[in-house]
Amino acid sequence: MTFWGVVGAFGTRRAYLKKDMDTSNAGYIGSMIGAATGPVGLIALWLKTPETRKSLLVVPPIAAFALLAISFAFADPSNSCVTNGSFVASQISNGIILGILYGFMALGLTLIYSILGVVSFAHGDFYMIGGMAAYYVTMVWFPGVNPLFGIGFACVSTFILGAVFERIFLTPMYDGRIDRPVEYGILVTFGLAFTLQYFIAATVGSNPVKAKRYFDFPRLHWPSKEDPWLLKTRRGGLELFDTITISNPRFTAAVVCIIVLLMLLYFLHRTWTGKALRAVSLDREAAAITGINPNRMNMLAFALGGMLAALAGALLVQAFSWLPQVGAIPAMRSFVIIVLGGLGSLPGAFVGGIIVGLVESAGTGCIPDPQKAASYIPAYGGIVLLLTLLLRPTGLFGRRFSGGSHGKFG
Amino acid sequence: MSKQQVPLIVGVIIISFLMIFPFVYTANNYPYVMHIMIAGFFYAILTSSWSMLAGYGGQFSFGHMGFTGIGAYTTALFCHYIYLSPEATNICTEFSVGSQYLVIVNPIGITSSTLVQDCLREAMSIWDGSVKVTPMPVWLGIILGIAMGGLFGLLIGLLVLPLRAAYLALFTLGFTEILRAVISSELDITRGQAGLELPKLFENGITIFGRHFDKTDPLPPYFVMLFLLFFCLGVLYWLAQSKFGLFIRALREDQDAAAALGVNTTKYKIMLFVITSMMAAAAGAFFAHYIGIISPNNLMILQMSLVVSMAVIAGIENIFAAAIGAIIIEFTLETLRTSFDVPLIGVEVDMTVWRLVIFGALLMITLRLSRNGIIAPIINYFLRGHVADETVAKRKVSDSSEESA
Amino acid sequence: MNKSKLSIYGIATAIAVSLIGSASFAADCTIKIGGLAPLSAPGAVGGGEAMRDAMKLAEADLNAAGGALGCDIKVVIADTEGLPEKAAAMMNRLITQDGVVAVGGGYHSSVGVASKDVANDAKIPVVFAETWNDTITGDKQQFIFRIAPLSSWASATIWQSAILAPGLKKVAILTENTDYGIPAAAETTKGLVANGIEAATYGVDIGTQDYSGIVERIKAYDPGYVIVLATGEAGYNFAQQAADAGIGPMDVPFQAGQVALESKAWWENVPDGQYAFVQRIGIPVNLWNDKALKLNETYKALTGKGAIESYALEAYDSIAILVQAINEAGSTDGEAIVTALENIDHDGTLGRIYFPYGSGKDPSVDGKGDEWWHQWPDPAMTVIQYQNEGEDSTDSAIVWPDAYKTGDAIWVSQ
Repeated sequence: MTFWGVVGAFGTRRAYLKKDMDTSNAGYIGSMIGAATGPVGLIALWLKTPETRKSLLVVPPIAAFALLAISFAFADPSNSCVTNGSFVASQISNGIILGILYGFMALGLTLIYSILGVVSFAHGDFYMIGGMAAYYVTMVWFPGVNPLFGIGFACVSTFILGAVFERIFLTPMYDGRIDRPVEYGILVTFGLAFTLQYFIAATVGSNPVKAKRYFDFPRLHWPSKEDPWLLKTRRGGLELFDTITISNPRFTAAVVCIIVLLMLLYFLHRTWTGKALRAVSLDREAAAITGINPNRMNMLAFALGGMLAALAGALLVQAFSWLPQVGAIPAMRSFVIIVLGGLGSLPGAFVGGIIVGLVESAGTGCIPDPQKAASYIPAYGGIVLLLTLLLRPTGLFGRRFSGGSHGKFG
Repeated sequence: MSKQQVPLIVGVIIISFLMIFPFVYTANNYPYVMHIMIAGFFYAILTSSWSMLAGYGGQFSFGHMGFTGIGAYTTALFCHYIYLSPEATNICTEFSVGSQYLVIVNPIGITSSTLVQDCLREAMSIWDGSVKVTPMPVWLGIILGIAMGGLFGLLIGLLVLPLRAAYLALFTLGFTEILRAVISSELDITRGQAGLELPKLFENGITIFGRHFDKTDPLPPYFVMLFLLFFCLGVLYWLAQSKFGLFIRALREDQDAAAALGVNTTKYKIMLFVITSMMAAAAGAFFAHYIGIISPNNLMILQMSLVVSMAVIAGIENIFAAAIGAIIIEFTLETLRTSFDVPLIGVEVDMTVWRLVIFGALLMITLRLSRNGIIAPIINYFLRGHVADETVAKRKVSDSSEESA
Repeated sequence: MNKSKLSIYGIATAIAVSLIGSASFAADCTIKIGGLAPLSAPGAVGGGEAMRDAMKLAEADLNAAGGALGCDIKVVIADTEGLPEKAAAMMNRLITQDGVVAVGGGYHSSVGVASKDVANDAKIPVVFAETWNDTITGDKQQFIFRIAPLSSWASATIWQSAILAPGLKKVAILTENTDYGIPAAAETTKGLVANGIEAATYGVDIGTQDYSGIVERIKAYDPGYVIVLATGEAGYNFAQQAADAGIGPMDVPFQAGQVALESKAWWENVPDGQYAFVQRIGIPVNLWNDKALKLNETYKALTGKGAIESYALEAYDSIAILVQAINEAGSTDGEAIVTALENIDHDGTLGRIYFPYGSGKDPSVDGKGDEWWHQWPDPAMTVIQYQNEGEDSTDSAIVWPDAYKTGDAIWVSQ
């Protein structure tokens, strides 16, 4: 299967090239058809070389995935991924919850990319700072204060941090003072990440800290106390249908994420500033002609993107033990997600997040050797990243950037 | 003495200083200072080859530490698992090679007790010293490591051909991350986080000019790393001066234009990856044999960020600046590992963590104010002193010709 | 450095030492002792900071008691970051840059394994405080000592206390992928299987934060007991995420690993950590000698923690025992210190410390394995249980072994 996938990836590109057709999706389609149908489908594909259609983009990967799942089921019939339905359900729900949280964080990164054309390497550190700020407000400075203040403080402080950083360090990118702004952007955010992480290590220290759970669930049993098959809650989590458990902090975080996402969509689509942001991301020059100041939008996008990461951090500091280097893993994951979803695409980030969450859950849950399943977690994302970049660098919802953006400024 | 000669003279002074330094330095912390110098050379090789890749070629790869790891792990696994024995062990996987047997030791993973032993050790305890088993030569492992680095460089170079800028950075980051996860998870073979031990560079010591150095003496590895650095710099300089250098700079500025002008962009891009990866792998293999242990933590992004920062602070578009900068920065970072009391307010400042904060801030400020780094502009000032005049002269000529036209 | 140079230095040092000795202004000299501790990630920073504080307290206490050879001692702390290659470099630095005459401390096993050869080659005695891997003493190196328990003993504590759980059939072991976790998991599994109990091991990369996938998997395995062999924040993250999913300490008998000893951090990071079992090294609090009680008070005042952790006691003793050895040897020469250590009888905070096996008597004489070499044979090991929410690890009930027992285990079940 892998073999035919590889053959498909290279062969199809060649076949399309020969007929002088658009090859941008050929490798992707070829590998998926090769993986799903083997040589039969490939030969047909090479002979016919159909135009890229939506069905061609969607059906083969689903078939390949189904084939993979079926062969896995036959290869390892005793695996609990095959036999245990409720285990599968809980892994899937877990993957979706994780996906929402990851996706939310990636949203900030992709927002920055869509406006500035820069992949911010400091994204994980905004996440870390957000968590630290929320921890300090709710646990150290004002113990017992409503957690909303902590979250609010995290958002405001990182928004300011992002805006100031953008004004001081990113402005030279815009006016052509720098030959290669994309690389400059990577490096300077990299420097920010480095500085922030060690600054926190030096001032706060490297002992794990954690905020108190923002609120405890009330005890609920539904439909009846004796047989709560539909819903049962404890202070730390809830259980649906007797199978799916969702922890309290994650549930809270996911709900807040969805609310904020809706607010963000409203902001982007219904307010003037939001529309201006989107306009700049679509076409910088055209937006400038209509009276939008693209540079102001740069500042807004960077600060807003950082703030989203910080918000994710502030919500998750009640779920994870917090350390200065806590941002490295989610940052890597955000990179994977935005590439998978298509750099610069907001819905892509969310869908990508859920896919990555599911892939990680599947990997951890289904790899037969329990000793290795979890230690490979960092690799699952990496594999998704590599495959996306090789087969379809534009990602799921990638779009070509028109106008001045994508790292080339006015 | 003209201005252009200054860098040359300074270069000669630096080289001769590095050559005689281990003989004249005699303070008590000699082994420690030598260790820092060797680590400095290691980073200098990585930094200068990365600045070739990223600064000259514009290929922003975050996978450089990955290649270092490939080089180091190749030789480590080779030396750890393959031995030559004159007699068959009958319990290991083995092949007869002439009069010898090539023994492949079974991996036993991480054990706590000394009771669990691999098949070769078991056989040796049965032989009880009657059979002499030869480990594989270190140099062969290093060569294999370099070759493996080149091979992966080729592979990655091929795969990243269509990718540019941010995509390339993310791809190489993902590659390193997978590599790290594999090494740290397959601990039956790689011993994961416990680290894989390697024989020293000169396990039996070495005798040069009638003087014997034992295996822990830092002098032989010092010169090995130093000459490796000189060699790499020589190759990089030669490449940068040649057509190759011109072409890859063209690649960096505008790949499409370069291709349109007939530059075989594919070929040069892949060559660039292969050469720099081999240098990284060589540095990794030699350094791992010097340290004696390798663990997947070397592949963490923090290590990579150190190399990137060194290159940027020193000057990313000048290999010599990058090398000198790496040595200076490594030296400063190591010597700053102390704490001191601020006299007036009586606060103890622990420099161990603050040094990296300062380092990060320095990186940002350098980028912001002097995009060519700190050292490269100094070199350029002396080297290109004449260029400015020339340009002025040329401009004058062209201006006057325009006027006359 | 060549031999002639070495000998010149030797002579020079000897002259200098004799000059100083004859001039007899003893207070002006300082004897440096190295202290290894992980103080930055990925090391277990909580443990490292506790050890650093304890070793600094040892320095102050010992100097108040007259120091070594009439000189003050100074403990030079070195941050190992929990990384093997850093450990070797730091050991090198301590010996050649700082000029220490002996080294104490040490938390991570990988650090011990990687740095012991450096010290042994340089003929600098080391007393490891908290590195458990058996091979550290198993290589029978002349300069390497250990007052921590062997990994095999520590694992035995864990499985022996686990099999007491009523109706136990299946055990899930979560382990970090290091040379502490993997062998410990293997030994624990061996012990459990020998008693007819099934065990499954789940490995994780150190630095993992999100355990929800593996927690679901463990939950599907339906264990009757969960054992965590993870240092650092991993232990907290896993325990709380397991609790969130309904297989935490309040739902299943749960052996939480060493990190849980730091009570304040435990309750902050694992609010649902009640009923967790924790393995504890050293004699129980009610049997502490005056020295340990006094240290506990100073330590609490210094750090603001609820009580001193066992590895802090070990770190304190590792320095104290070295100073006693230096005094008994009458010199700072490595070999003399080793001879003194082999014959030492130290009244430490952990109890009476001595090393029965060494160059005088090989472990094989008594039919013991090589790992008994330079190994303190009887560090007390207990298992405690956090029976009340928010309590200190030193106030908790000791539930195993019977000799130290102060309360019965509370067996939670699903």
